[in-house]
Amino acid sequence: MIARRALCAAAVGTLAGGCALMAPPQTAALRAARDAKQAAPVELTAVPFFPQTVNHCGPAALATVLGHLGIGVSPEVLADGVFLPAREGSLQTEMLAGARRHGALAVRLPGRIDALMTEVSAGRPVVVLQNLGLAIYPRWHYAVLIGHDLSADRLILRSGIERRHLVGFTPFEHTWARGGHWAFAVVRPGELPATASEEAAVQAALGFERVAPARDALRAWERLLAQWPASLVAAVGVGNTRHAAGDLPGAAAAFEAAARRHRDAAAWINLGEVALQLGQRERAAAAAREALAIGGPFADKAQALAQRAVR
Amino acid sequence: MTKNTTRARRAIALALATSLSFAGMMQGAQAALIGTEQVAAAQQQASTSEGHARLAATLERADVVAALQERGVSIDAARERVAALTDAEAAQVAAQIDQAPAGADSVLGVIVMIFVVLLITDILGFTKIFPFTRSIR
Repeated sequence: MIARRALCAAAVGTLAGGCALMAPPQTAALRAARDAKQAAPVELTAVPFFPQTVNHCGPAALATVLGHLGIGVSPEVLADGVFLPAREGSLQTEMLAGARRHGALAVRLPGRIDALMTEVSAGRPVVVLQNLGLAIYPRWHYAVLIGHDLSADRLILRSGIERRHLVGFTPFEHTWARGGHWAFAVVRPGELPATASEEAAVQAALGFERVAPARDALRAWERLLAQWPASLVAAVGVGNTRHAAGDLPGAAAAFEAAARRHRDAAAWINLGEVALQLGQRERAAAAAREALAIGGPFADKAQALAQRAVR
Repeated sequence: MTKNTTRARRAIALALATSLSFAGMMQGAQAALIGTEQVAAAQQQASTSEGHARLAATLERADVVAALQERGVSIDAARERVAALTDAEAAQVAAQIDQAPAGADSVLGVIVMIFVVLLITDILGFTKIFPFTRSIR
């Protein structure tokens, strides 16, 4: 174990040394265009620390960011759901799912160091996947970015058994690039990371809706819709979670708005179903007609709805 | 059978039938809503199979065919490569063509460049423009 770690450290050291003269692309760009606001050094000292037991870097990193949200759960508890003994580690999807199961939205972040820095500056620690080995001999590692200081060329991580692991931008970028530039942040439903793309946020909310109580999922979708009013998926998500939470008139209003804005058959069909449940047959029949006129993959459902609405 | 037991039986049967049909209705109503994930999947499919269609149409253009052949790229190989892309990848490549500046000559140049990169240099590992190409090196 120690020998292996030493080997990895040596490997990383050689790489960093070899590349010292030529900074990797993102580091070089950051140094060239130093944004005063972003360059202000930050360290989130209040982020909890869970020293990693053997191979448990995944659960430890997840417990760290969840703990920062006020969701107290130990790495040991998380390990049951997140750690795969056969793989001696945690898969990326398991990490995201583990966060969801404990009531947080896990949102993938863009693969840019400046995005990670923006999140940390906003008070949000970020889980990163690093490959501390080489591409041909990978040694995967999850760590939590909690601070940055561009002018001093250092990033601060909760990593393994180190509470404050300091690393230069260049070696970090290399290990992170070999990890596929993979990173995520966790937020409470109703919040979103500042740099999250619409696609990443939608994926996070879809996963969250599967496991979260309807009211929490509703808060997540409403936040998304506020940020991306043109998102059909978010609009339908608001309707479906309102329905699941028992708010039928609210669900109908959401579906109707989505159907009119996007001319979307699924939204019309869901409006029709809710209208039937509300006893509004005419509204349901009208929605079914709109859905039938559009056609598409849900045409069968539209047909069935039309029949039930006139019965 | 006495009149009373018949009546009791009827009452039980009626109650059972009502509760069953009510349960059926409830379940039907729940199951009938189209899930958010289904909508997301349908939306993705609609926008992405479009990507394949647009790339295929691009490869039908006579000027593109001629330009690719001039550079030694076979059209069949290009079609195979497009077919092997996932929907999302095809949409990404199509989007790159869309972003090309207007003007017939430069668009043709961009299209040819994209296919050459997609087909040859990325696969040989000289470049890494498309994240989904697997280098054979």
